[in-house]
Amino acid sequence: SGFSLLLWIGAFLCFTAFLIRKITTHEIDTDNLILGCVLVVVVVVTGCFMYFQEHKSQKIMESFANMVPPKATVIRGGETVTIMSKDLVVGDLVELKFGDRIPADIRIIQSQGFKVDNSALTGESEPQFRSIVCETGDRTVMGRIAGLTARLQPNKTPIARELEHFMKIISVWACFLGVVFGSAALAMNYSWIEASLFLIGIIVANVPEGLLATVTVCLSVTAKRMAAKNCLVKNLEAVETLGSTSIICSDKTGTLTQNKMTVCHFWCDGKIIDADSTTQQKEAEEYNKSEGMCATLCNRAEFIHGQEDKPIQSRQVRGDASEEAILKFVELTHIHGDPTEFRHKNPKLLEMPFSSVTKYQISIHGMEDGRCLLVMKGAPERILARCSQMYTENGTFCAEPPNFPRKDLRFVGFMSLIDPPRPQVPDAVERCRSAGIRVVMVTGDHPITAEAIAKQVGIITCDEVIEAFNINIIETLPPNIKNKAIVIHGSALRDATNQELDNILFNFKEIVFARTSPTQKLQIVEGCQRLGEIVAVTGDGVNDAPALKKADIGIAMGISGSEVSQQSADMILLDDNFASIITGVEEGRRIFDNLKKSIAYTLASNVPEILPFLAFVLLNIPLPLGVMAILCIDLLTDMLPAISLAYEKAESDIMMRPPRNPKKDKLVTRKLYFLAYGHIGLIEALGGFFVYFAIMAENGFWPDKLFGLREKWDSQSVNDLMDSYGQEWSYIHRKELEYTCYTAFMISVVVTQWADLIVCKTRINSIFKQVYTLAVSKELHGMTNLIF
Amino acid sequence: KIGLFYLIFYGMLAALVAICMWVFSQTLDPRIPKWQLDRSIIGTNPGLGFRPMPINNEESTLIWFQGSNRTNYEIWVNNILKFLDKYYFPTKITKGNQVKTCSYYDYPGPLEVCAVDWKDWDECNKQQYFNYHKNSPCIFLKLNKIYGWTPEYYDNPNDLPEDMPDKLKEHIKSINITERRTVWLTCEGENPADKEYLGPVTYYPKGMQGFPGYYFPYLNAEGYLSPLVAVKFERPISGIVINVECRAWAKNIIYNRAERTGSVHFELLID
Repeated sequence: SGFSLLLWIGAFLCFTAFLIRKITTHEIDTDNLILGCVLVVVVVVTGCFMYFQEHKSQKIMESFANMVPPKATVIRGGETVTIMSKDLVVGDLVELKFGDRIPADIRIIQSQGFKVDNSALTGESEPQFRSIVCETGDRTVMGRIAGLTARLQPNKTPIARELEHFMKIISVWACFLGVVFGSAALAMNYSWIEASLFLIGIIVANVPEGLLATVTVCLSVTAKRMAAKNCLVKNLEAVETLGSTSIICSDKTGTLTQNKMTVCHFWCDGKIIDADSTTQQKEAEEYNKSEGMCATLCNRAEFIHGQEDKPIQSRQVRGDASEEAILKFVELTHIHGDPTEFRHKNPKLLEMPFSSVTKYQISIHGMEDGRCLLVMKGAPERILARCSQMYTENGTFCAEPPNFPRKDLRFVGFMSLIDPPRPQVPDAVERCRSAGIRVVMVTGDHPITAEAIAKQVGIITCDEVIEAFNINIIETLPPNIKNKAIVIHGSALRDATNQELDNILFNFKEIVFARTSPTQKLQIVEGCQRLGEIVAVTGDGVNDAPALKKADIGIAMGISGSEVSQQSADMILLDDNFASIITGVEEGRRIFDNLKKSIAYTLASNVPEILPFLAFVLLNIPLPLGVMAILCIDLLTDMLPAISLAYEKAESDIMMRPPRNPKKDKLVTRKLYFLAYGHIGLIEALGGFFVYFAIMAENGFWPDKLFGLREKWDSQSVNDLMDSYGQEWSYIHRKELEYTCYTAFMISVVVTQWADLIVCKTRINSIFKQVYTLAVSKELHGMTNLIF
Repeated sequence: KIGLFYLIFYGMLAALVAICMWVFSQTLDPRIPKWQLDRSIIGTNPGLGFRPMPINNEESTLIWFQGSNRTNYEIWVNNILKFLDKYYFPTKITKGNQVKTCSYYDYPGPLEVCAVDWKDWDECNKQQYFNYHKNSPCIFLKLNKIYGWTPEYYDNPNDLPEDMPDKLKEHIKSINITERRTVWLTCEGENPADKEYLGPVTYYPKGMQGFPGYYFPYLNAEGYLSPLVAVKFERPISGIVINVECRAWAKNIIYNRAERTGSVHFELLID
């Protein structure tokens, strides 16, 4: 990153200064050598720390990934063999059975009731058997998405941009100071070599050695805290990104919703009854028996054995998503007792499985009372077309048709299914809104479904919704669109220009994109970024991967998320809960504030580190603060307090203010600089100088004596330097006095830094207002560690 | 507006520092150092100083001159004269104190300082250009002044350090006990070769070879002059850099060549 580059340059300059000294005067300049080495060590150690931190996240991720490599059963050369999926070649015959993963792009050549879960590809779940491999590896649909993802260059994280900006300021400032005082030294009749050594010295003195490590540790502290709240951060710098996020593009299925079909309403006997989608479905007890019978019997789904002790909603079911929903519903209602038992008592005599052509399924059961019952389930229009009567509570009982007729059936009722939103989502969306973050839904699902869910979770709150299903509507938007929401169909988006997209993204506050392709998701993200927004994208499918990577922060789902999506994301929600994002936003905003404090704190001690050197050059006094003392301050005494600021509590309700404007609200502002350098740093420097002059005077060198004394003081050949009391100092004793001054200056900086720590604890509130909690005890702990 | 704030802020800051410095300066005595001897960093182990010193290069200790070139050696002579100015005209700096010609039997009282008589340096005088023109230069040596420091003399001829040159031992034996109250001084070549090149050495004031005890302790009295020893190198070999080391001898002067305590080092090069 930019910061380590600065340190590398600093180290390089140190070695240059060392070499210049070595060549011109044959002296070994240990200070510069040590400083150079320390800078290199700091960069390397921080780099390693960062690596290990990210490596650790990687490890956690891997534990999520399937440890067993996927296998496939194929017929190759006439023999049936089980091989690794990656060893498939075009032309292999693949045998698939219930529950298998599709190992490659295949062309189905023979099947019976074959259904695949395409949700990984499309983001939506739709509902044995022989097929031929037609594409493998990168040429599969999956592979093409992966390729698109790999080609994308992820943007720099906002915090990286901030640090780069900070580095630029520091470098320009350091070079400016260096050149000004270097030329001043030249004007004061120093030699070229001395002047260039001063120049290097001043530039290096400006480098905040400890800051890189401080920032890294602060970020990892937050990353750890977020991991404890189910946000696993893969890339350390992404920790802050959520805090500056201004727009969240969220996938629907699996993120906002549970990716689990559930019965939500049913209709029978002219009444619509709510099925409580999450809990015990009490109301369903009222439900009439016939519809329950039909739901139980005309259903191929079954529970997997051995999970009877689990709650019904989390039991695994073998079968199609909607049948699973119905099965769970009847299990919950228990209207005919245990459904498995009920089926057993009324065995299936004949079955016509569901197919997308007929859109219905029929089964005939031999009932306990010896009669036969035909039950049929399917798409509403197909079923209604075949019904001539309707079941009512007091209706007449009609005899079963003798030879499974397909018309003149009796209609018993509707059951409507929904993939319900996660219960915490509406609240989370509301909190995003109050935090000034727009939530945009980007889904591959049907616009109507998308709109319904968007309304349920609060993404759409307006009454008026413009439905843009084709390009014409986008081109002829009404002028007054302030308080309107818009639902945009993928096909309309395909025909829209970038400008039109930007226009929509800019003007509408509530937007839903439906039927979008992976490329379009990418376009939407890029559109937002063109508007200067910091974009977070959540998603779980492979189709989300390109957008996840392009986003400023990609958030993948830990449980349901595909591996590809997790790899392209910067952050993973371990509990798949959209509400965890709120925690992330809060932590991100907090760390941004706290980093500001940390940097203000660290920068302040830069002034008392540079000024002694400037005074040494310009006023010709003996050096008040040596390089080693500076390193002690930067890398030892300043580090722990600066890190402790990362634990600082948020000052106000940070979730009530809008996200920071990346153009204006910089990490390091003029104000911060003035505070750190102009106020606190200067006071610290004055304190240090006072102590320096006091010690010198008490030992015999009055301030007036010190000015212009530098050359004689530092000359080994002068063994009898006279002080203000006529005493004569040999070289070794002078140096001892100088080192005493280093120590005193350093201690005074350390002590004033304690006060600075309290100053930096708050930025807005008064220090008395900020309640002292854990943070203080941690700081005190750090400080006592330093003292003893 | 912000400018005004900074003006007031820095004004207050400057005033605060000024007040601090003033209050602090009130705690200091203009004549007596706050920390003395062991409590001060200067300690109780004085070093030595030599004159003349190279003028243009602060890092060098090389006395390099041509006895045949008047303009060249006059630089060194003037350097010495500048240093000796207060010895030639001591009245310039004495104010309230009485200058007294002290001896081993007559120590200075309060309000008295001992005179340092330039006539004692014999041949090392300005009329003879300190013998630089004869290629046998005089080097002036002084013991570093430390407030309140009193030497512990090597006054027992049977209890002298091993490494003390034999000549000095003989000298100590040859004088009476009162006159042994002296901080002895020896100048020698640093290495055997240097000793050979350096040749014989004469110390002035004659018969003392050191700094007499009546000059100690130094109490920052007005008009006080450090006692000087003029060392005349009679016949140093020319054309070769000779490393010279001068050592002061007292029981409480601990010698360390690397740290240059209790001694001083310089080089001599005569063209």
